[in-house]
Amino acid sequence: MLSLTIAARFLRKSPAQSVLIVAGIAVGIGVQVFLGSLITSLQASLVDQTIGHSPQVMVQSSTDGQPVAYGPALKQTLTSQPAVTTVVPTRTFSAIYRQGQVSAPLELTGGQLDQLNTIYDISGRISAGKAQLGPGDVLVGKDFAAKNGLSPGSRLILVLPSGKPAGLMISGVFDFGSAAANLATAFVDGGYAAGVLGYTGDQYSAIDMQVHNVFDSKKVAAQLKTQPAVRGLKVSEWQSQNSDLLSALKSQSYSSYMIQFFVLVAVALGIASTLAISAVQKTRQIGILKAMGMEDRRSGRIFLWQAAILGLGGAAVGVGAGLALIGLFTYLGRNSSALFPIHPQVWFIALSFAVGVLVAMLSSLIPSRRTTKLDPIEVIQGG
Amino acid sequence: MAEQLLAAEDLGKTYGTTVQTVALSDVSFVLHTGEFAAVIGQSGSGKSTLLNLIGLLDTPTTGRVLLNGQDASATSRRQRAALRNELIGFVFQFHYLLPEFSVLENVLMPGRIAGASPAVLRPRAEEVLALLGLEGLESKGANDLSGGQKQRVAVARALMNRPALVLADEPTGNLDSENTKAVYELFRRLNSELGTAFLIVTHARAVAQQTDRILEVQDGRLLQDERNSHLEWEPAAAPAGEAVASTGAA
Ligand SMILES: Nc1ncnc2c1ncn2[C@@H]1O[C@H](COP(=O)(O)OP(=O)(O)OP(=O)(O)O)[C@@H](O)[C@H]1O
Ligand SMILES: [Mg+2]
Repeated sequence: MLSLTIAARFLRKSPAQSVLIVAGIAVGIGVQVFLGSLITSLQASLVDQTIGHSPQVMVQSSTDGQPVAYGPALKQTLTSQPAVTTVVPTRTFSAIYRQGQVSAPLELTGGQLDQLNTIYDISGRISAGKAQLGPGDVLVGKDFAAKNGLSPGSRLILVLPSGKPAGLMISGVFDFGSAAANLATAFVDGGYAAGVLGYTGDQYSAIDMQVHNVFDSKKVAAQLKTQPAVRGLKVSEWQSQNSDLLSALKSQSYSSYMIQFFVLVAVALGIASTLAISAVQKTRQIGILKAMGMEDRRSGRIFLWQAAILGLGGAAVGVGAGLALIGLFTYLGRNSSALFPIHPQVWFIALSFAVGVLVAMLSSLIPSRRTTKLDPIEVIQGG
Repeated sequence: MAEQLLAAEDLGKTYGTTVQTVALSDVSFVLHTGEFAAVIGQSGSGKSTLLNLIGLLDTPTTGRVLLNGQDASATSRRQRAALRNELIGFVFQFHYLLPEFSVLENVLMPGRIAGASPAVLRPRAEEVLALLGLEGLESKGANDLSGGQKQRVAVARALMNRPALVLADEPTGNLDSENTKAVYELFRRLNSELGTAFLIVTHARAVAQQTDRILEVQDGRLLQDERNSHLEWEPAAAPAGEAVASTGAA
């Protein structure tokens, strides 16, 4: 460990230089931790807003408008998928809300409230009235209710697809955080929807599912297609229906990687030049150590150790600074609904830390090689 | 007769590729265990070149160096480093102490390079420091010493691994006469007490005359090799100091 001892001592005896390098690495890693976490959380928040409360994988009849029979075999197949978190059979139909001169289309989803909650969290997002879906009850969105002067207890008159009128009782008003969803969506009892659609007890419009990791939806859909109980049915998933969002997310990720990459390159160049200067300053010491018998490779390790110490220190400070920035960001945005929470991910922080150390080590390769190659006679003759 | 410690066989060194300088040619001599010898010669005559070759710091263009009967010129860089560490102590005109380390740490360094732990080495380092009258300075920074003290620490460091041979290239070149005298008395004492062989490059005729053997180099050749006799050598036109003159490029 002599190389380590010497490395540590060299660093301790040039505190200004050491602090500068640590600060350089810290800035780079701090930017990386903050920016990376920010982008990841921004994307998570975007994805969550987009499909967090929607079906992510759907099984339907291969013929449009036909029901899918949700028998025991299909139920067993879908619920036993490890990646699937919830399976909700639903019946959907469109209807027209009509009141005097006003008419508006509504997309109604029928199902059991406790099951619907696992996807839509209706009960958690009720803004007026009660989360209740008995036969004849309907839950409507906040914007729809406000626009049409409706409130819990009001009667909702609809024109069904068959052309027949129907009357439902508004039991509650939900707020899904999006005017579009609040205007066009409504929920009814599954049995009621079956009646409207003319479906029997095991017939549904779709079997809706959510998965653990939303980006696994493609894999899950592909896996489902191979199952005997699913054969002949249509399996769709959110990613193929949201390619615009996905490509936007991808380009955002790439630009974030680019920024991180160039910051790290700048940091590496800074460390490399400072370490190279330090290696030149220590030529005399290295020369005499070699004259006294220190092996070439061992002397080269002095600068690798220096880089490792600086890298570890800089990466640690950088991670701390990055987390502090995240904390500040969260604190400043605590009262703003426009900001999203940043959840720093342990793996990403560990990765940033490792990258910091690695960049420092790589930057030391040139001074380390120079030291390895130094011939003690150059120093002895040079005085 | 004492054991053969070192043999230089037809040693030659030519510097440069396009413009060639023959710094040393056909130098042969044998040094025995416990010998106390001086190398003299004009500036540029090849003294340092000779010392660097037999100290395995430089590789000869011709000939070879035998250390303890082993052909050291034919070994790898790594093996030569190990041989230097084990067998040779160096003292140069400049002390080359590591300014980042204390006196004690500097003296420990050759032992640590050999792989021993500071705890194991400490008694030996203290013994050597005491031998050189440096007690009490252990924890001082190497930079916080006088010139004479620094050079004595450098000698202590050279002795740390109990080398069979100390090579000293104008070791007192930067010291005043009082310190110069002290260092040579010390060398002599170490030679008789420890049996360490010394090969000392010097300009000072008085010093050379107090050694047991004088190797005189001129224009890269060994001109004389005299034992136990007084030498008729005059430092010619060279200045009495240690200034590097540009005479004698062979
Ligand atoms: N690295 C080198 N490249 C080219 N020539 C060299 C080199 N080192 C030494 N020489 C030449 O070799 C010759 C011998 O040099 P050396 O240093 O051995 O002399 P010296 O006897 O030690 O002189 P001084 O008493 O001034 O120290 C000189 O002519 C010198 O110019
Ligand atoms: Mg010389």
